[in-house]
Amino acid sequence: MVDPSPPTLELKGLCKAFGGITATDNLSLTVAAGEVHALIGPNGAGKTTTMAQITGEIRPDAGHILLDGRDITTLPVHARAALGIGRSFQITTLFPDFSALDNVAMAVQAKAGTSFRFWRPARQESELRDPARDALARVGLGDRTEVPAGDLSHGEKRALELAMALAGRPRLLLLDEPMAGMGPEESPRMVDLLLALKGSVAMLLVEHDMDAVFTLADRLTVLVTGAVVASGEPDRVRADPDVRRAYLGEGDHAPC
Amino acid sequence: MADRARIAPLAFLALLLALPPLLEAADQAFYISLLTRVLVSGLAAASLDLILGYGGMVSFGHAAFLGVGGYVFGILMSHGFMGDALVLGGVEIPGTNEALILLPIATILAGLVALAIGAICLRTGGVHFIMITLAFAQMLYFLFVGMEDYGGDDGLSLWDRATLAGWDVSSDMATFYLSLTALVAFLVLARRLVDSRFGMVIRAARQNERRLAALGLPVQRYKLACFALAGMAAGLAGALTVNHAEFVSPAMVHWTRSGEILVMVILGGMGTLYGPVLGAVVYFLLEHLLSGWTEHWMAAFGPALILAVLFFRGGLWRLIVGKEMDTAGGEARGEAVHHG
Ligand SMILES: Nc1ncnc2c1ncn2[C@@H]1O[C@H](COP(=O)(O)OP(=O)(O)OP(=O)(O)O)[C@@H](O)[C@H]1O
Ligand SMILES: [Mg+2]
Repeated sequence: MVDPSPPTLELKGLCKAFGGITATDNLSLTVAAGEVHALIGPNGAGKTTTMAQITGEIRPDAGHILLDGRDITTLPVHARAALGIGRSFQITTLFPDFSALDNVAMAVQAKAGTSFRFWRPARQESELRDPARDALARVGLGDRTEVPAGDLSHGEKRALELAMALAGRPRLLLLDEPMAGMGPEESPRMVDLLLALKGSVAMLLVEHDMDAVFTLADRLTVLVTGAVVASGEPDRVRADPDVRRAYLGEGDHAPC
Repeated sequence: MADRARIAPLAFLALLLALPPLLEAADQAFYISLLTRVLVSGLAAASLDLILGYGGMVSFGHAAFLGVGGYVFGILMSHGFMGDALVLGGVEIPGTNEALILLPIATILAGLVALAIGAICLRTGGVHFIMITLAFAQMLYFLFVGMEDYGGDDGLSLWDRATLAGWDVSSDMATFYLSLTALVAFLVLARRLVDSRFGMVIRAARQNERRLAALGLPVQRYKLACFALAGMAAGLAGALTVNHAEFVSPAMVHWTRSGEILVMVILGGMGTLYGPVLGAVVYFLLEHLLSGWTEHWMAAFGPALILAVLFFRGGLWRLIVGKEMDTAGGEARGEAVHHG
């Protein structure tokens, strides 16, 4: 069976080593349009390194990265983002002195063509502010728009990360542990948010919270020391004895 | 607070406009000339603030662009006076003493030099950036020292000040107002700039370059453009300095000069544009007071500066207008530079 339209993301034989450490070992996977593909594995398995190769922060030693069938392996970070890769970082990275609204407006501005505009006050441009307000409302920060990003709670910062990634209307969303460090009442809200987005944008999700993974993922890939141990539908992967031994351990929860 | 932020610059402008006639009436015309030095230093400092306070680029070589603007101005002026053309690579360039020609040329050439230097320096960051900007300024210093035709080490004296559209504006009073006009024009343009889309990118780059790239913005291009714009304004400041002093020498690009400008920005308040001008005023005031008191005024100034940095971290300007002066919704915390 040949699928006529290429997947949103395709990784082909990706390899990356840091000195003697193999971080990515002949990794191939696809994320179809609108699909949520979860990437799981123990600490140090190479999940963040994989993300960084997709965004362009790290160059693979070998292999190819295709976005909608187009080879983007050698493009710089900003060019890939401009092609529709949105990202939330494992460790929150925001513009801490800007308000929440400024943060998202910057994401909108980045998508709105050149920023070599020197005269009009950007904070008065409704074409930047309105979509930014919408994105903040979508992640539940509608009443926190004027708060400096650095003063938001941890959960709110994670939500702001997501709003920034969404504001660029990405084709592919890379989420590196969006629930990391969230309290028991914040995590389910983030899961609900992502669930609401499901189908509208392709997502590659790295997450240690197995409940969230099994709630959200259409497909699951298990990575151990950079190599794929198993890949497929969540329930089948969960049942895989190799996976149970290598990673999932007893029950459905990560051993970390 | 918001009102004070709007009124304070206008109040200072009104004061500056009124001062020269008052000083002359009080038989203190000497101060008009001193004030002009303050204004052009303020312009240099405000231009540094664009890259330092907004862009987070800690340049220790900003005087390089003052020097380029100053030397371009001085060299063309001297050829204009002598009536001999400047021959560069077989091309004859006539000198002139017309400010409307001299100032734009000095500004543009300083901008081009900043573009070239910035393209190299911006490949690095943090301490390396500080060091390499310093190194480039020192290179220019030795280049100017080596220009024997233009006075070498001793510098180049001019015979007069420039004309403006043929008018004689060589009096101390006219020179003051010419310099003030340039400063105000820069501040008006720069205020627009920092609030524009371009300005928001620059301010975001100070806070988090990595995030900016992940959003799809080619950060280096914007930083380089900002660096070149700041270089242009510094070139203008250099040209006006030379016009006022009727003299240009390599001392203008010495690293201590870059340090002085840096101090003015920090003293007045990074990321405020007006603050560095106030910083220049206070710097000259302290120099004046302390040098009358002791020869080693720098030794007294150093500790005073450290105290200032420790206790008014937002700078003097924020002390006057309040911390939230540039908070049209953001940057409420008015912090110091974040290293990327
Ligand atoms: N820049 C680097 N230089 C050297 N080694 C690195 C670098 N980045 C990652 N590594 C190594 O590569 C391996 C994979 O790291 P990576 O951060 O991708 O793991 P991860 O799956 O994201 O882990 P975690 O679940 O803890 O986030 C680790 O052994 C790590 O130490
Ligand atoms: Mg990781």
